[in-house]
Amino acid sequence: MNTTTAKRAGTIALVGIALVGVAVPAVAGGGVEREGNCSARSDWKLKASPDDGRIEVRGIVDSDVGGQRWRWKMLHNGSVSARGRATTESGSGEFRVRRLMVNVPGDDRIGWRAKNRRTGEVCRGNLTF
Amino acid sequence: MREASTAATARPVWQRPVVQFVVVGLIVAALLAWITGVLGERLAREQAMEDARATTELIANTVIEPALSSGLLTTEASDLDQFDRLVRSRVLGGDIMRVKVWSTDGRVLYSDEPRLIGQTFALGDDQQQVLADGGSNADLSDLSRSENEFDSQLGHVLEVYTRVKAPNGEALLFELYLSDDNLQARADELFSLFRPLTVGGILVFLIIATPLVWVVSRRADAAAADRERYLVMATEASDAERRRVARDLHDGVVQDLAGTSFALSGLARDVGGGSTSATSQQLSSELERLASAVRTSLLALRSLLVEIYPPQLDGHGLGAALQDLVASAEQGGLDVTLRVDGATSMSEQSTALVWRTAQECVRNATRHGDPSTLDISVNVVGSPPVATLVVSDNGRGFDPNGAVPPDSFGLRGLRDLAREADGTLTVDSTPGRGTSVTLEVPAT
Repeated sequence: MNTTTAKRAGTIALVGIALVGVAVPAVAGGGVEREGNCSARSDWKLKASPDDGRIEVRGIVDSDVGGQRWRWKMLHNGSVSARGRATTESGSGEFRVRRLMVNVPGDDRIGWRAKNRRTGEVCRGNLTF
Repeated sequence: MREASTAATARPVWQRPVVQFVVVGLIVAALLAWITGVLGERLAREQAMEDARATTELIANTVIEPALSSGLLTTEASDLDQFDRLVRSRVLGGDIMRVKVWSTDGRVLYSDEPRLIGQTFALGDDQQQVLADGGSNADLSDLSRSENEFDSQLGHVLEVYTRVKAPNGEALLFELYLSDDNLQARADELFSLFRPLTVGGILVFLIIATPLVWVVSRRADAAAADRERYLVMATEASDAERRRVARDLHDGVVQDLAGTSFALSGLARDVGGGSTSATSQQLSSELERLASAVRTSLLALRSLLVEIYPPQLDGHGLGAALQDLVASAEQGGLDVTLRVDGATSMSEQSTALVWRTAQECVRNATRHGDPSTLDISVNVVGSPPVATLVVSDNGRGFDPNGAVPPDSFGLRGLRDLAREADGTLTVDSTPGRGTSVTLEVPAT
């Protein structure tokens, strides 16, 4: 393996780790939470917790820069459950999205996607509830 | 003499016309309130059903049907999420407590109660009919059904369902559960429309009419008291006049006739005693016949005097007075039985009433009844003592409920006098079976 190949492999591994995210312990009350790095400098978080027969899903992107405009999507078992646009807050540099999903029988696979409309930075997170 | 106001106040409260009028009016008002309440609730229920159907069809056409997707038919999670958000934001709330979408085979494609999604229940005939023919239907929900196992906390709800079409044309059943709690409020609202016209009207009528009824009742009581007072006055005037006539006859004509009778008897003895001539004997016999005729007339006149007014009318003399009263009838061949017990304790007023009643009964019997027997009994018993007079005959009788003869005022007047004396007078008679008149009056 030459130097170029080694760098390319390292980059792919870093991007992969960033996009897949890192699992964190389940939160209190039966919830599940994951977080990870987006494709550039931003971070993402995805939380799911039970809510009166439904699943409360919260997606967060933190870029540390206020005023950035993003497109986002929430996936439920592979299909788009909700989508929208958001702008990071000037103070915190993040935006948050909260949606309720129907808790269908079996595992619920929940995905969180966000894309910076100017830089093209991509955030991708998934969890199973 | 008793005053009208005394007679009115002596009457029990519940017998007063004003009290009866107010009580009946209040009962009618309460009855009307109940009826209008029932009608109001029924109308409210019908109106609520109609409103529920209209609401359900409106929501089905404007919100639900445009949002149906093919993914919902297969209960795709993302389609369910989007439909759920729509239902919770635009349909649920207020009176709407539950939303369900059914497939034709009874599968719950969507419910805001997620545990029902995907379960299958048997659809009822009404639901099948709506699925087949369209339209809508509403009914009170039966929460004991298995499809409502999570709805026990909802209380009384209306189930309303209508047909919607999926994008592929498949007929689905859209069902809403609406709260039944506002039915009573709606019934009260409707009832408030009727209340001024029914209960309010009756109450206003009572308020207006009660004083009028009170005035009319007072006037009627006063008129009755006046009538009784006039009757007593007339009776007393009649008694006074009878006493005067009887006294004049007794002191004048009776004494003259008695003297004439004695004179004729003495003259007859004088003429016939010393002479044996036929002329003298004939003259004596004629004078004796004249004396006898005068004595007969004198006896008849004394009976008439007794009838006009007995010489000693009190408790002690009642028996004798009654005996004198029936003497002429007995002479006419009537079989009279007379019993008087305990009359000595009777007051003068009650004695006069008993005697006057007996007099009227004897007069009626001899004039109209043509009886062969006549029984008169007077008893005074009880504490306080009550005098009971019974006059019965076996004459032809009459129908007490039939047309009143013009000369029957005597009994009617006696009935009024008996009531005035706190007594009663009853007449028991049947055509062909005689007549019995009973007077009961306080003896003292």
